[in-house]
Amino acid sequence: MLPEEIREELRRQIIAVEHPRELAVDVMFALQAHYGYLSDVALEEAASLLGMTPLEVEELATFYTFIYREPVGKYVIHLCDSLICWMDGYESLRDYMCRKLAVKLGGTTADGLFTLLPVCCIGYCDRSPAMLINRKVYGNLTAEKIDEILEELKNEA
Amino acid sequence: MPKLVIDNRDIEVPAGTKVIEAAERLGILIPRFCYHPALGSVGACRVCAVKFLEGPVKGVQMSCMIDARDGMVVSTTDEEAVDFRRHVIEWLMLHHPHDCPVCDEGGHCLLQDMTVSGGHGLRRYPGKKRTHTDQDLGPLIQHEMNRCIQCYRCSRFYQEYCGYRDLGVMQSGNRVYFGRQEDGTLESPYAGNITDICPTGVFTDKPSRFKGRRWDYERTPSICLNCSLGCHTVVSARYREVIRQEARFSAAVNGDFICDRGRYGFFYASIAERPRQAAIDGKTVTREKALEVALERLESIVRQSGTAAVACAGSLRSSLDTLAAIDRLSRQNGWHDPCFWMDRCVATRVKTAASRLEADTAVSLRQVELADVILVVGADPINEAPMLTMAMRQAWRRGARVVVIDPRPVFLPIDFYHLPAAPEEMARGLGMLIKRVIEREEVEQLGREALSFYDSIPKMPLPVKDRLEAVVGIIKGSHRPVVVCGTEVVPDGVPALAADFSLLLKTKNRSPGLFYVFPGANAFGATLLPGGQADFEDILTAVENKTVRALVLVECDPLCTFADRPRMEKALASLDMLVVMDYLGTETMKRADIFLPTTTVYESGGLFVNQEGRLQSAPRAFKGGLSIKVAGDGRHPPRVYGSGMPGVEPVPARQQLAAMVAGQGPVEGDAAWREWLVDYLRLSDFLPPGDDFPEDGVRVLAAVATTERFGLDWAATLDDDRAGDERLRLVIVERTFGTEELSGYSPCLDTIVPSPVLFMHGEDAERLGRVDGEPVVLTTETGSVTVTLRVVDNMRAGMLILPRHLRLDWQLLGSGPIWIAADQIQKAEHT
Repeated sequence: MLPEEIREELRRQIIAVEHPRELAVDVMFALQAHYGYLSDVALEEAASLLGMTPLEVEELATFYTFIYREPVGKYVIHLCDSLICWMDGYESLRDYMCRKLAVKLGGTTADGLFTLLPVCCIGYCDRSPAMLINRKVYGNLTAEKIDEILEELKNEA
Repeated sequence: MPKLVIDNRDIEVPAGTKVIEAAERLGILIPRFCYHPALGSVGACRVCAVKFLEGPVKGVQMSCMIDARDGMVVSTTDEEAVDFRRHVIEWLMLHHPHDCPVCDEGGHCLLQDMTVSGGHGLRRYPGKKRTHTDQDLGPLIQHEMNRCIQCYRCSRFYQEYCGYRDLGVMQSGNRVYFGRQEDGTLESPYAGNITDICPTGVFTDKPSRFKGRRWDYERTPSICLNCSLGCHTVVSARYREVIRQEARFSAAVNGDFICDRGRYGFFYASIAERPRQAAIDGKTVTREKALEVALERLESIVRQSGTAAVACAGSLRSSLDTLAAIDRLSRQNGWHDPCFWMDRCVATRVKTAASRLEADTAVSLRQVELADVILVVGADPINEAPMLTMAMRQAWRRGARVVVIDPRPVFLPIDFYHLPAAPEEMARGLGMLIKRVIEREEVEQLGREALSFYDSIPKMPLPVKDRLEAVVGIIKGSHRPVVVCGTEVVPDGVPALAADFSLLLKTKNRSPGLFYVFPGANAFGATLLPGGQADFEDILTAVENKTVRALVLVECDPLCTFADRPRMEKALASLDMLVVMDYLGTETMKRADIFLPTTTVYESGGLFVNQEGRLQSAPRAFKGGLSIKVAGDGRHPPRVYGSGMPGVEPVPARQQLAAMVAGQGPVEGDAAWREWLVDYLRLSDFLPPGDDFPEDGVRVLAAVATTERFGLDWAATLDDDRAGDERLRLVIVERTFGTEELSGYSPCLDTIVPSPVLFMHGEDAERLGRVDGEPVVLTTETGSVTVTLRVVDNMRAGMLILPRHLRLDWQLLGSGPIWIAADQIQKAEHT
């Protein structure tokens, strides 16, 4: 269940705008922050808060890459899967990452730490290949650099 | 008007016409998937590419996105455009399964047509196809997502055109998925249309699944009988069975679509339970024998008690042919005046309404879409005439404001202003609106009668006055207002008042419209008959005081449709003879001394007049007979050789009735009959010369006498004010599914039909200590029913709304105005 203070805060924000739909993404993010991902329960809650049908929320939730409809790891790696990164070695980095984490694209490591997802262009083309991990961007990636980053995150966790 | 050249041919089209439409007017069908005339252009599928050679636009462009303009020279056959379209088809086919042999769309599939005409024949893509999991969308629609080509027609129709919110598009890119958030029956009563507009086999008609290909069917244009609107349909018949019904385009009535009650309301015609054998006292006999015995017994009754001891009654689901035949038979034989109406008040209202439709104010269903203000008085569009809701929604999407004055918990998939007024408040409300919207000086130009009517409107107390005030401004500012008026819950004066209001709105250069909603497919038709002034009340009284000894009921089930079953049962049992002719296996038919089977509209065709006064012809769709499925009990039909066909005993009711006319011989042959009918009903002035019946029918509105206008007796209209009465007024109403007679025989609608409910206002529930969802027993002087209580706030307090559910014995509650005191609604002990 969503804590009452979060629900109240969202209600307050929704009342303040002309069309509740405007806040659909914000509400989904808030629920995702609370639950870790946008669960079916969260989807229903978002729909009832926004006065939308579950389908209408699902239409948006499944359209956006950064809304997770399935459980994800502590760190979500969005590896840039776009033209400039393709030119700079995306495919070998992807394969390296899959081997290292022992997951397929879309998978989560057994320890629940990392989820690996492709993403379409994060606008970091000048430092490609690039990736985002929990909203932090990393550029000029190499296998060594990836090792370092993941090691650091593992230690932090 | 822009002039352009398409494929070396000149054409002039109205400004705003898209090039794809302009080409269609020349008979050139440019490939299309996402484009649909009712949905408009989005330019999503890229398959309608053509090349613009000269003019304001150059190069390969989407013909659905570009307005026709002067000087355009367009080629649909240009090499570059053809090549472009071929590639588009190829990539749309990338993931499409090659399952045409097992796909129900095969044979009328737009994707098949476009693939063949686009020149794509050889698959080059060697990769894996993306696949989807299908959903269970209920008993009417089959889902097969792998076939999707992402044209978005379904979600645009469902959400934008219809305003329902449980089917849409999810995911993105290669994973785009059209469906619901989770499995479940589609909520929209218009959902069946997505099987018509899906250009491939993602959504197909479930009840007719695997029953045949389009070319296997006898396809015939027809008219829907499941409400008074008379929408156009196409009937598909095969193996002596109606298999499927689809929407047929009508520029005047329904446009491109129909509702699901109409689409799936035909199963009564071919179900195994349909009675096809004549019977005397329950024993099967030949039709000739049954008729002979019926005539003999009738003769003896006439000899004993006179010709007026026989009465004949029909119903509003019968064709004009049948109704006229009843009328003729009763008059010729000197029987009691025939009856077509179950309810005296409804009859009065419909007759008034029909007489008040004038050529320049009566609007068609399509014209409702063009209104800028719609005022609904005493009508519940989605339940009484589902497609009216769609017309209202299209008007609303164009900016129209909608006001509904009705006591029921009206739902519409649009924003509208609902004034939950009690029936007696409707006349007051309209009176007040007239006074406030129209100035006295404006009325002067409409003549003396209008002015004296205007002056006669009394000052009236009105509980919802403040809320009505908001409506005044809306109507004042309108240019094309349409007044929609029902006939089921309104007081008798309101249909005339609605007509008067529409006439008064002609001031200030408005072009007002008037649109009535009637009960039954042929209610207007029944008003055209010279006889038929009686209603069932009269007949019952005559039976009770023994002046009528024999009843001939034609396609009429009073045990189900008359509001007082105990009285009806008693009366029927006291008769010397009951003759029933029907194509439905009704309760009444089971009590018949003599039963004669008749044909349905699909086997005999017929004329019907919709609520707008539009006379429409439904041709015969197939020859009839017992369906092969029933004859063979689901297996191979019996290997019995003979020239005959089983199950052809039913004949058109009019033929049966003609054989009963004393003296004068029957009118034989279809052409002679039609000629007689046109003459009998004085329709010849309306019908164009020639044999072809006009596609959109003809309006048969009689000239309205000036004395009928502005003739309302206010005192009589307002006398039933019950202010201060603590009791609740019970009103029995219709629902989209579950109350209409014909669709009640459709097995596929069984799970769609909601269970019987009784609506009560929240305030009343609180006062009476009743809660939402509890089973209650509702008791009147004549009987009681057990029903689930629904507590709502969007209805008139002080009333009870009970849908006349076919599974509920609402007829036990009695007829006339019913007032319910607190102790008459009790919590049911157990359901």
